[in-house]
Amino acid sequence: MRPLLALVRKEFASLFGAPTAYLTLTMVALVTAIIFFERLKVYNQILIVYATNTMGGFDTDTIPDHVNLWDTVFFPVMEALGVTLLAAIPIVTMRVFAEERARGTDELLVTTHLSPWQIVLAKFLVTYAFVALILAASFVYPAAAIEQGGLGIVHLAAVFTGLLLLGLGIASLGLVCSAFTSSQLVAAVSGWAAAFVFWDFGWSYSFLNESTASVLDRIALHPRFGAFSEGIVAVENVAYFGAIALVSMALARFSFDLRRVGN
Amino acid sequence: MAADASGNTAIRARALTRRFGRRVVLDRLDLDVPARTTYGLLGENGAGKTTFIRLVTGFLLPSAGDLEVLGVSPAAQPGTVQRNIGFVMETSRLYPELRVQAFLRFCGGIRNMGGEALDAAVESAIERFQLGSVRNRLVENLSKGYQQRVSLAQAFLHDPALVIVDEPTSGLDPVQQRDVRDVLASLRGDHTVLLCTHDLHEAEALTTRVAVLRSGRLIAEGPTAEVLGAGDALALFRSGENRA
Repeated sequence: MRPLLALVRKEFASLFGAPTAYLTLTMVALVTAIIFFERLKVYNQILIVYATNTMGGFDTDTIPDHVNLWDTVFFPVMEALGVTLLAAIPIVTMRVFAEERARGTDELLVTTHLSPWQIVLAKFLVTYAFVALILAASFVYPAAAIEQGGLGIVHLAAVFTGLLLLGLGIASLGLVCSAFTSSQLVAAVSGWAAAFVFWDFGWSYSFLNESTASVLDRIALHPRFGAFSEGIVAVENVAYFGAIALVSMALARFSFDLRRVGN
Repeated sequence: MAADASGNTAIRARALTRRFGRRVVLDRLDLDVPARTTYGLLGENGAGKTTFIRLVTGFLLPSAGDLEVLGVSPAAQPGTVQRNIGFVMETSRLYPELRVQAFLRFCGGIRNMGGEALDAAVESAIERFQLGSVRNRLVENLSKGYQQRVSLAQAFLHDPALVIVDEPTSGLDPVQQRDVRDVLASLRGDHTVLLCTHDLHEAEALTTRVAVLRSGRLIAEGPTAEVLGAGDALALFRSGENRA
């Protein structure tokens, strides 16, 4: 346990010792803020238009159902935050394993009391913690929308859980990509590619038969995340993201074995 | 841990072979490294020294043959071997973003050291490798010579039975080379040190026995003075003469 904790501490020090972490954190918070206030502005403009047209103030009878905080602000912000995570997280994950390989410090790590599983676990845990931090910093805007929309704390918790699991899913894919290369650029690009491919397989219905497309759809990130946005925490969806994490850890662990026998 | 059943051999290789694709990097190597000696593994670049080290540390698996390190197979029980070795890599592969003391504490931590034992080991290493004046500096801001001292310090931190030192003076200026050699010379007798180098003067100064590899094959083995003292030592690197 002590070697694992030592590596976790070192990983935090390395993560926050580089500007990438701060830039990513700032970028996601900033993009979310811009999108939130932009959508809020649009919502207010729509309200003003309706209020002006009907000359009846903000009586709910005068505003159509589809004009609400939920559809106009919350959902677009959640969509944007999801896509922002898609772009930002591979920037964080690219260095995690690839940098160790490039420096040769992976050789130092594996010739200590650390087992490959512990190395993988420490690196995944620290990355997951950082993703949670990114979301904590960015979630204030969707949270405000939910609060003003009167949906309550349970819904808020469901949405945050969904966002967190989505972030961890994207991070898992990025970490696997980082585990198989010594180039951070390759890790980032392949991380983005993997995340975009797994984001949504809706396009596959146009090219593949329905049963195949349906299977692909079930392993896509976006539809699973969508259910959380509705305030539903389904065990199936939680298990899906858990499976992504476990499979990714197993693949990252496998990368160590591959190096031992490598040609 | 005993070096082997009798405690006399730290590393024992028999017909040890490693291939990368079709390329044979180590070819049926037979080698015994005696315990508590500084043993030189010589050879030009690409001779197979680093591959041999990686097999010893369990970082790579052999393609064929047997290898025992401190009486244990690193292929079958890498964790057991890795707990009892220290490793100084070719170029100082450190974490530049950490300060020297923090780096040493980290290295102690991942070797399962903690509490007062870790504090004492770090202080002892800082004193032994003369790192007191740079203990709070970032590793990236150190000279190469000091980086190599830090690398040596982390390898000896847990008082391992076997220390592997790969090209310790590579890339250092003459003064730094002398400093690092002085440090290595001061360690003789306490541990088994496997010193990999292509520097014959370094081998002469520091080792008691040497093995010479060329193209993955053992071409000479014996007491350093005998192997390197007989005729033109450089010929060992160049010619096809086999004195193993």
